[in-house]
Parts: sequence; C-alpha cells; structure tokens
Amino acid sequence: MDNLVIAATERSPAVDFDFAAGVLSLKGESYPEDASTVFGPIFAALEGFLGVAECRALRFDFELIYFNSSSAKALMNMFQLMDKAAARGVTIEVNWFFAREDETMKEFGEDFSEDLEHVTFNLATTQN
Amino acid sequence: MTIPANTPPEGEPLTLAQHYRAFKGVLDERGILFSFSGYLSEGILYSLGDTLRQKMTLDDTDLTTIKKVFSVFVEQAQNIIRYSAEKVLGTVGKSVELSSGMVTIGTERGRFFIVCANTILEDDVPQLKHRLEVLQKMDKDEIKAYYKEQLREAPDEKSRGATIGLIEIARRASEPIEFDFDRIDAEKHFFCLKVSI
Repeated sequence: MDNLVIAATERSPAVDFDFAAGVLSLKGESYPEDASTVFGPIFAALEGFLGVAECRALRFDFELIYFNSSSAKALMNMFQLMDKAAARGVTIEVNWFFAREDETMKEFGEDFSEDLEHVTFNLATTQN
Repeated sequence: MTIPANTPPEGEPLTLAQHYRAFKGVLDERGILFSFSGYLSEGILYSLGDTLRQKMTLDDTDLTTIKKVFSVFVEQAQNIIRYSAEKVLGTVGKSVELSSGMVTIGTERGRFFIVCANTILEDDVPQLKHRLEVLQKMDKDEIKAYYKEQLREAPDEKSRGATIGLIEIARRASEPIEFDFDRIDAEKHFFCLKVSI
C-alpha cells in the first residue's frame, strides 16, 4: 500500500502515513474551510490500510496544536474506525501529544480516549 | 498631554483626521483590539487569527486563554462565512465565496470578548435561536457532554457542522453566551453573538 505524505498548509496538518512501518502521524493545525476535503483522503487511506492490516501493529502519533470543531468530528470518525479495527485484533497504539500548559488539547485527548475500548491511548506532553 | 478627540472649533465641521480619530476612539473606548466589518474570506480569517495569537502572546496571555479566544474566533468567523445571508459568489480566476459580517475582539472587566454579527434570513431565525437558547441554559458539564454526544453523531450534511461549532463556542465561554436579533426588513434580521473568555 502506498504511503500517504501531505505537507502542512496554513490551515491543514502535515500527514505522514508510513504503512510499511506501521507508523502514522498528523501534525500541526487544522481549521480548513471544508474539513471533508482535508480529511476525506486521510480517512480513506486509513480505512484502506486497516482493512488489510489484520494481525499488524499500528502506531498513530497526533501532535496537533489546534483544530476546529469540524476537524474534531473528522478525528472522532478516525478514532471510531481504529477502535473497530482494534476490536478485530489489530494492535493500535495512539500517542496524543500536547504542550504542557495547553489544557484544551489535553482535554481533547481525554475526551477521545474515553470512547476507545480497544485502542491503547497515551497522553504525552511535548517540550514546548 | 493628550488632546481630546472630536473637538473642532465652534461651528466648524470635523476635519478628516478628527472624524476618523473620533471613529477609532469609539472602538478604543470599548476596549476593542480589532474589529473587522465587511466581506470575510478564509484568507482574512487566517490573517486576523494569526495576528490575534501574536498580540496575545506578546501580552503574555496564558496559552489556554489564547487557545480559547482563538477557537471562538475561528468558529465565529467560519459561521459568518458559511451562514451569512449577504454573500457574493463568482469566479475570479478561481471560485470565490465572500460573506459579509462583522467580527470584533476586545477586553472588558479583565476578560476577552468576541462578538460576531451578520444578517440572517427570517426562516433561519427560529432554529438558530433554539440552538443558542439550549446552550445558554446548560452548565459546563452539560455543554461538555452535549459536545461529546454531537462529536459521535454522523455529520449533518445540510448544516455543514453548525451545531458542533456553536457547542464549541459555548464550551470555551467563561460566562453564558449572549445573543440577539434585530429585524432589518420583512426577510432579514441582524444577528449577533457575544462570548466572554
């Protein structure tokens, strides 16, 4: 499966999905005009990979500084997709990075993790 | 010594500088950091938002407050871009959608406030009013639970995410949100929403 690498823009995150290594990451900010345009290809690539990822291990690093509400909804869809795959036996570890003093991003991490039953969700602070 | 604005000699009209100094003075007296009125685009949203974050950072505002103010600003501006009843659509090399409205950010009584305003159609008033009234009556925990509930819902194609955006705004507010409608004519109302952080 082809890797997915998309450079960050002013209002959309950097995407680096290394499917061969099983390491995926989203970094930066996300408040595009239309969240479905940005997250559509990301979701499709993740869904495609998880569909053929039986008995594989996957690590997903999130290092997001800010995202708007429609991006939050798209992220929730991704977590629901990952939890279903984890329930089928794919080992999935999520690392949710946030700046030490950033209560908002910490709370978002907690919110998302509460809904996950099968994914291992780690909250971790970054240096900044 | 500062010479007061708006003081032309007896019987003489305001000069150009006096006129605009008085206009800016009205904004300054209200504690306004900046106010944008006119056609908003995503490019303007980005530039204003970036300047807002830089100014707050230079003023040593704590990161969580910066995040809250920025988030309310983005959701409010994107609501204007999506839902303003005054829009200009067309092609200028590429497809362009400009929406008229107003975004104002300032400080009062030690808090930041963000006000957005735009015209909306009569038919859209009842639903928006209902959504805002529901949020206005909720406490912090109820808003948080409501946000999570809406996050799990499938995207509502028609609203392009209005509900979750309004909940995000209410969630970041330090006081209950304030809103009002003022009738313009038979079909349109002036709508404004004020959020304090």
